[in-house]
Amino acid sequence: MLTIGLTHYLVVAAVLFCAGVFVMMTKRNAIGILIGVELVLNSTGVNLIAFDRYVGQGRVDGQIMALFVIVLAAAEAALAVGICINVYKNLATVDVDSARDLRG
Amino acid sequence: MVGRAHVTRTKWWAVPTLRNMNHQYEILLALGVLSPMISFWVLVLFGPKMGKPLAGWFGVIMGMGVPLALATYVLVGWCGHVQSGTAAALTADAFRLNWATIGTIPITVGVKLDSLTVAMYFMVTFIAFWIFFFSVGYMSGHSDEVAGQSKYHRFFAYLSLFGFSMLGLVISSNLLFLFIFWELVGLCSYLLIGFYFDKLFASTAAIKAFVTNRVGDFGFLIGLMLVYFQLGTLDLDEAATRFAEQASMGTGIFASHFTMFGWSLATIMGVGLFCGAMGKSAQFPLHVWLPDAMAGPTPVSALIHAATMVAAGVYLVARVFRLMTPEALMFIAMIGCLTLTLMALVAVVQVDIKKCLAYSTLSQLGYMIFGMGCGAWIAALFHLITHAFFKAMLFLCSGQVIEGCHHEQDMRKMGGLRKKMPFTCWTFFVGVLAISGAGVAGLEVAHTKFGLGGFFSKDEILAVAYARAFEWDYEKHQDHGGHNGHASLDHTGVPIVRLASDPTGDDAHAASATHGGGMAAIFENTPPLPKWMFWLALITAYVTPFYMMRAWWLTFMGKPRDQHVHDHAHESPLMYVPLVVLAMGTFISSYFLFRPLIADAAPAATTAALVLATDGNLHTPAISAAHHWLVFGVGCAFIVGFAIAIGIYSRGLGVAERIKRTAGPIHTLLEHKYYFDEFYGLVCVKGCLVVAKICRFVDTWIIDLVVNIAASATERFAAFSGLIIDNHGVDGVVNGVAKTSMDFAGVVRAPQTGRIRHYVLFAAGVAAIVLLVVVWVGLESTGGATATVSAIPQ
Repeated sequence: MLTIGLTHYLVVAAVLFCAGVFVMMTKRNAIGILIGVELVLNSTGVNLIAFDRYVGQGRVDGQIMALFVIVLAAAEAALAVGICINVYKNLATVDVDSARDLRG
Repeated sequence: MVGRAHVTRTKWWAVPTLRNMNHQYEILLALGVLSPMISFWVLVLFGPKMGKPLAGWFGVIMGMGVPLALATYVLVGWCGHVQSGTAAALTADAFRLNWATIGTIPITVGVKLDSLTVAMYFMVTFIAFWIFFFSVGYMSGHSDEVAGQSKYHRFFAYLSLFGFSMLGLVISSNLLFLFIFWELVGLCSYLLIGFYFDKLFASTAAIKAFVTNRVGDFGFLIGLMLVYFQLGTLDLDEAATRFAEQASMGTGIFASHFTMFGWSLATIMGVGLFCGAMGKSAQFPLHVWLPDAMAGPTPVSALIHAATMVAAGVYLVARVFRLMTPEALMFIAMIGCLTLTLMALVAVVQVDIKKCLAYSTLSQLGYMIFGMGCGAWIAALFHLITHAFFKAMLFLCSGQVIEGCHHEQDMRKMGGLRKKMPFTCWTFFVGVLAISGAGVAGLEVAHTKFGLGGFFSKDEILAVAYARAFEWDYEKHQDHGGHNGHASLDHTGVPIVRLASDPTGDDAHAASATHGGGMAAIFENTPPLPKWMFWLALITAYVTPFYMMRAWWLTFMGKPRDQHVHDHAHESPLMYVPLVVLAMGTFISSYFLFRPLIADAAPAATTAALVLATDGNLHTPAISAAHHWLVFGVGCAFIVGFAIAIGIYSRGLGVAERIKRTAGPIHTLLEHKYYFDEFYGLVCVKGCLVVAKICRFVDTWIIDLVVNIAASATERFAAFSGLIIDNHGVDGVVNGVAKTSMDFAGVVRAPQTGRIRHYVLFAAGVAAIVLLVVVWVGLESTGGATATVSAIPQ
């Protein structure tokens, strides 16, 4: 039987992280980028809980931090959606490639 | 002079009592020089306002009246001093002022106060005064013709300036100031000859006079420079003493071995100084200006070109006589001899009355210079003074004639004027007698001889020339104890010539003692005068009366040849006074006053051993006895000359025409004045033009070429510098820097794409790299990857 250790959880978190970063990089839709951001944040939550279970001796600090991360992620997602709505109002689209006015 | 001691009332103008005032004569002479200068300035500044008669009379009084009065006073006083023997002390003590220093040599200004100065000063002021007087009337009718400018006051202004210059020249004690006044006199001559400057021949004549004078001055300057450098002083007396010292010691100018044409440096100095006289007194090669100078008004011809300015050359030779070596004197005598002969021959064929008088002046100047060269210092100066009187009178008479004949100057158109102009005719005759040396030869009543003018002066020159040519025996005479310098004895043992420093004639000891060995040693080797010079001078003494009588006869005697001219002829009584005065002056100067004064000046002024003077003049009994033929040959020359002239011209021009045809080529040569003008025109004038053309060629093709090449090289370089270096070089660098910055900026700007996805990519990429690096370094430091992995708790 395969024993699930800390490493397995870290790998899952890493995969989630990379997937999230990849989504941030490639999605043209602003909401898609936000989805990627969610993935990244959730990967950190997984990381925190895994460390809490395997390294923390009976303490629950990790799990509290994971709850903080979820709340922050929600707040940040609301703010980001607000920005996307403003972008849509100005540009009539949510395609990030068309928000190029600050190019050098 | 004795009576004056009792005069107790002081005259109002003599408040500092003149009698006892120190340097009174110098001050008076100097005031006499200043007075014409004041007259000049007043006439220049206020002349136009002064108007016709006033300007003239002001010029007469201020310009020459005051100097004449002062000259008379000085003359009278000086004669008194001469008689009482105090003159020499006054001369030695004359006023000298240290004026400036050139290098180490001081220039002293002063008045040379001796008998010659007093005599010349008086002569110049006297003749000039009467000529100024004559001009007041003469020029009032002759000075409206000059274009545009006013005229009358200008004439008197120039005459005043001339008076100033001439008097200044006479009293100069210093060669520098003599030269300054010399040049001023030349300038005045230029201004006055060219008085009618709107006429081309007058202005060219003025230029010719000035340029010819300058050519002479070139030699003068060389002489002056030699005096300055070798003798170390420009003062006349000092220069003479140093010259004598250097001659006796063989130092200075006599130490040089430089020779040119066989002349030593001392001779070159003397000849150089004489060159000035050649120019000013119109001697042989430089004589060409004087006949042309007749283009000026008649008073100018009378004053300047007969009496005073041309005499300045002779005066210069007299002053620098002590600086002459025997070779220099021989050269002077030769030039004088050539002049007197050649010019007399030209005078024979002249038809213009003024030109005839001009050539006569040239010939008489030749006599004076010849006399100087022979050593007849006294005789030459005496001739100068008598000549001044009668030549001025002759010119004024000719002015009357020309005026009366309505500006007709050709003698062939005159004739028989004695009835219309008797006064002029007979004063002219007096002048003819004077110049011809008319007198009763061999007759002496109560120690006076009867003669006029040249009878005394010219004959004395000839006597000295004879002595120098035929009786000059320069070996030492045993019976005089071997004294050198004592010239010669005639066969009766009576010295007919003696040193001028030895008036009594008997004490040869004293004479040689004062000279020292050197001067006498040089002069004892003086050769005799070449005999041809004497013969030429003697023959010309026959030619002179011929051409003068010819002139007089053609003008005044015979039948009138042009009726129209004859009808118009008239005399103007205003002009009588100057003519009478000058005629009287001729008479008086022949007998009194001048010769004794000059003789008094001679010893001091001529310490050269080579000055000779006959005892009085040619016609002393001792000499007459010894040289009968000479006395009569010279004394009767005028009779022969007159006879030939009257013989040829008594019946009008017929005989003369026949002679002219038979002597064709000679006549043409004489008429063209030996083609001197053509020669000078070709050699000098065209020569100058050729040189000018060469210079222009050099200037255009050589100098300008260099300049143009330099200019175009600069231009090319400027183009190179501007277009190439500036545009491509400097701008390239600047542009390159800008372009590089912009490229760099572009590179730096490239990541700022404005696309969020790119920014995310960059952030993630860099983060990954940094993470890898940190982990790797951390792993390296803590023992490797495997150890860490195995530390992860399971």
